[in-house]
Amino acid sequence: MELKRIDVKGIVQGVGFRPFVYRIARENKLKGHVKNMGNYVEILVQGNSNDISLFLSDLISKKPPLSHLNDIKITNITSKEIYSDFFIKLSEKTENEEEGTIPPDISICDECLYEIMNKNDRREGYAFTACTNCGPRFTVIEKLPYDRENTSMDDFSLCEACKLEYENPKDRRFHAQATCCKNCGPNLFITDKYGKIISKSIYDAVKFLENGKILAIKGIGGTHLVCSSSSDTAVLELRKRLNRPTQAFAIMTKVEYINYFSDTSKVELNTILSPKRPIVALKKNKFYKNYFSAHVSNLDTIGVMLPYSGLHYLLFENTNEISYIMTSANLPGLPMSVDNDQILEKLGDIADYFLLHDRKIINRCDDSVLKEINKKMIFLRRSRGYAPEPVEIINQENIKYNKKNILALGPELNSVACLVKNNKFYLTQYIGNTGKYETFNYLKSAVLNLIKITNTNKIDAIVCDLHPEFNSTHFANELGKKYGCKVVQIQHHESHAYSLIGDSDNFKNNITIAIDGLGYGNDGNIWGGEIFLFKDKNIERIGHLKEHFQPGGDLASKYPLRMLLSILKEFLEVKELLEFISRYGYFSEKELKILIFQLEKGINVSKTTSTGRILDSISALLSVCFEKTYDGEPSIRLEALANSYSGLNAEIENAVKESIEITGNVLNTTKIVQKCYEMLIYHEPVEKIAYFAHIALSDGLSKIAIENAKKYSIEYVGITGGVSYNKIICERIIENIEKESLKPLFHEKIPNGDGGISFGQAVGYLLNLDKYDKI
Amino acid sequence: MKITRMHGAGGTVMQKLIKETILGNLENTSVNGGIGLESLDDASTIPLGDKEIVFTVDGHTVKPIFFPGGDIGRISVCGTVNDLSVMGATPIALSLSIILPEGFDIENLDKIMKSINEACKEAEVSVITGDTKVSNVDDIIISSAGIGIVGLGNAVRDSGMKEGDVIIVSGNIGEHGLTILLTREGFEFESELKSDVAPINGLVKSVLDAGFKINAMKDPTRGGLADSLNEMAEKSGLGILIHEDKLPISNEVQFIGEALGIDPLTVANEGKVVMAVRAEDSEKILEILKIHPLGKNAKIIGTVTSEHKGVLMETLVGKRIVDTPLGDPIPRVC
Ligand SMILES: [Fe+3]
Ligand SMILES: [Mg+2]
Ligand SMILES: [Zn+2]
Ligand SMILES: [Zn+2]
Repeated sequence: MELKRIDVKGIVQGVGFRPFVYRIARENKLKGHVKNMGNYVEILVQGNSNDISLFLSDLISKKPPLSHLNDIKITNITSKEIYSDFFIKLSEKTENEEEGTIPPDISICDECLYEIMNKNDRREGYAFTACTNCGPRFTVIEKLPYDRENTSMDDFSLCEACKLEYENPKDRRFHAQATCCKNCGPNLFITDKYGKIISKSIYDAVKFLENGKILAIKGIGGTHLVCSSSSDTAVLELRKRLNRPTQAFAIMTKVEYINYFSDTSKVELNTILSPKRPIVALKKNKFYKNYFSAHVSNLDTIGVMLPYSGLHYLLFENTNEISYIMTSANLPGLPMSVDNDQILEKLGDIADYFLLHDRKIINRCDDSVLKEINKKMIFLRRSRGYAPEPVEIINQENIKYNKKNILALGPELNSVACLVKNNKFYLTQYIGNTGKYETFNYLKSAVLNLIKITNTNKIDAIVCDLHPEFNSTHFANELGKKYGCKVVQIQHHESHAYSLIGDSDNFKNNITIAIDGLGYGNDGNIWGGEIFLFKDKNIERIGHLKEHFQPGGDLASKYPLRMLLSILKEFLEVKELLEFISRYGYFSEKELKILIFQLEKGINVSKTTSTGRILDSISALLSVCFEKTYDGEPSIRLEALANSYSGLNAEIENAVKESIEITGNVLNTTKIVQKCYEMLIYHEPVEKIAYFAHIALSDGLSKIAIENAKKYSIEYVGITGGVSYNKIICERIIENIEKESLKPLFHEKIPNGDGGISFGQAVGYLLNLDKYDKI
Repeated sequence: MKITRMHGAGGTVMQKLIKETILGNLENTSVNGGIGLESLDDASTIPLGDKEIVFTVDGHTVKPIFFPGGDIGRISVCGTVNDLSVMGATPIALSLSIILPEGFDIENLDKIMKSINEACKEAEVSVITGDTKVSNVDDIIISSAGIGIVGLGNAVRDSGMKEGDVIIVSGNIGEHGLTILLTREGFEFESELKSDVAPINGLVKSVLDAGFKINAMKDPTRGGLADSLNEMAEKSGLGILIHEDKLPISNEVQFIGEALGIDPLTVANEGKVVMAVRAEDSEKILEILKIHPLGKNAKIIGTVTSEHKGVLMETLVGKRIVDTPLGDPIPRVC
């Protein structure tokens, strides 16, 4: 008879792992125990060696669907002790600095859903039904180990019936920390804007929605503003109250309706159906307008998600609505409200009614958003369902075996932080615009929570952006003092490139195209259209877009006509320029005079190589967008316009060839804008001009990258940064790369945009440890 | 490392230079237990009997030397008088040290001196000592030291604000800096924009004479109101919450600031005072300020709190951290 101890690390808490071990141990006639050690699970098995090996193979092949085994360590034990049975021991608190992993939230499982919908079940119509295979995890946990008392379920003690299930190893609710029922779990209620309870039935909420009301609905890990997506009045009212004039809303619908209004590919459908239940940007089909108000989305796509909790499914009962607007309940740039009081306070003027409940949300988590590009799903936002699941790197020894704990704080917009520990890169949930004080505080608390739920008690280095005025830069210095560690700044686009390298787990030499809106450059200018050479762990900027003047700093991002004015001024006489710009009727005479003065004298004017600003200018030129009301709006709408053009033809290709001028690895973007300007003067259709601009930029960038790849005998060319969310640009560049028999690098697990910056900062730091260790 | 323009811009870069290279090398920095150099207040004091002598010095260079609303002469008087005033002192006497470049127009010097004379009469101070040199400088430089008097222990410190205090600013902000910027670059004005340069001792005196206590006070010059508020917050270890919609800003400054992308909070003033006063006195003080011609646009803009450090501003959507300006603004929005 043998006795073995098996330590399993990975996602083994809150996923039904211990009952599973209990079951297979018994099936294989073994004795011993299984115990939750806080950040790993310890299994002790006693039996004959054949049974033990059968057990071990079951452990790997039959593991619960949501579990993930990173590391299994087996030790032989010599002991006289004879175990009489196999049992599950209570959790043990540990102080060790080993990794523990909290699983992300997952959608309700089929069995729980069946119970909710079954008239005879005791959980019929109960919104919070969950089991070990489904429900909230990350959003309800306060600290490790994942036991009920460390979660917000601690406020709800189990009733007799639930307790029986909870304690029965054969039940699917055995130690399901979020389990509960009508009699013992959280309660739903509807209030008016003063917090007065007016109903306790979710079906009244459904009725309100049907009548065109706007509801704030507190869900599992966050709060949504919800209204009918077919009623113009409801949608416009929500836009007005939110001060969100154009940004597309996401909707929630049931899977059977998706084909009614969109063309979906298989990868899109798989993603939308996955238990992570993200929002997926789907292409509208021609019937779309029969189902939706025209004010839901002014793009050619619509963000769609499926219900992911019992509560959501119940919203689709007793109604003819096939979908609802479901948008994060926050004012633009501020964090989503998750406390009942705060929801009432912040959203009192926005929602008509409030569907709330009495369970606390510990870690708020916005919905994740994905989009298909080049037949792969990529992250626009990696949050609910994914955070805080870590990413690992296999192909780089220094990183793989690094034992230092690194904290990277990301950029300012679309902020996400990243903690690295034993080669696990834990990315926080989506944080947002940390330029706002409230969101900056959210970053702080999310970072501290991440440190807590990973049992981390030392930080060896902190990485932040190079921008001297970012709040996250100040926070980095503050934390550096607290942990007594060094603080390192890494340039924004270099971080984008490192992020791509780490994400693709390919550390061979490459050329990377990093294109986005803005990052503070090593030369003090504003970068955003950069080409890097990554060679022997070193990164070097070898090319970029032409520098243009950005008048008025951030104003030029907000009002794209300013940027256009600046570029047009490079080739138009002032008189001609004023005449042309005046046609838009956007600036007053005085304003224009000051703007020209500003450009001539260089007052508050930065130099920029930003790709976003070029797209913005063309967006303004074509009267698509004069004011940015959300991130990337001018270029996102320009892309939608370009998508309505029929596609590549000889005329466009010729125009593109003529407009590409590269000198010393710098692409002359003035020529591209000038060509667009001329096309407009000659009354070419705006869709065509928009499409031309996309292809010209893509081909210009590709050309620099490909020429350098050849020059340095490099096989890989990567593309990253926020502009790589642009499907036309991204797919065109990848096509160009492949045409030259080079291999494209593209994102997979990490967002292309600024949500991937903190990951890149951490990778960049770890890659150059020898350099940074000397500091 | 060499000195750059950033070192004179009044932001964090300048603060670092002062703390490390300048203060770091001086050992004797105070007299008789008065307020010394190390507190980096608007002026220092020397206790003598039941009074304190308040002493300050300021070097003035400005380009152009004549601008709408004033000239370098007027600034030389007001800058020094105002530094004494925000200590709660009565300014008495000034010195003038003038460094002239070769080729400087005597007619212009005459104009400047006349302007100095006017400003001294307004502020009721006398120039009692001086020095003139001709040297290899780009343009005229005027340094003026000033002496004032305050009752023993009555000097108003930057650091004196208390939790719950109310922050008052005496009028429209950003006028001086924007005027200088536009005039320097040769903007052709059909604008009523002009510098606010003025001695504020009379204005401050009206509040003190009415028997009110001012807990902390500064004149928001270089770095603008943002810089002064941050200094007051930092030195007191408290936080300030201001409200964007309550800031006194003229339409013209608002318009030009918005057109250029320059935040009036960070733009220099030469005739304003910002003070922290007890909440219960604030309305009465505001009334007194409004009677004075230099205080007619005075406004309560915020409060002092211990809930956070630094300066926050409530905007239409959420709060924003108002940092000490670093020098020129750097774009941060994608
Ligand atoms: Fe970026
Ligand atoms: Mg003072
Ligand atoms: Zn379930
Ligand atoms: Zn129960």
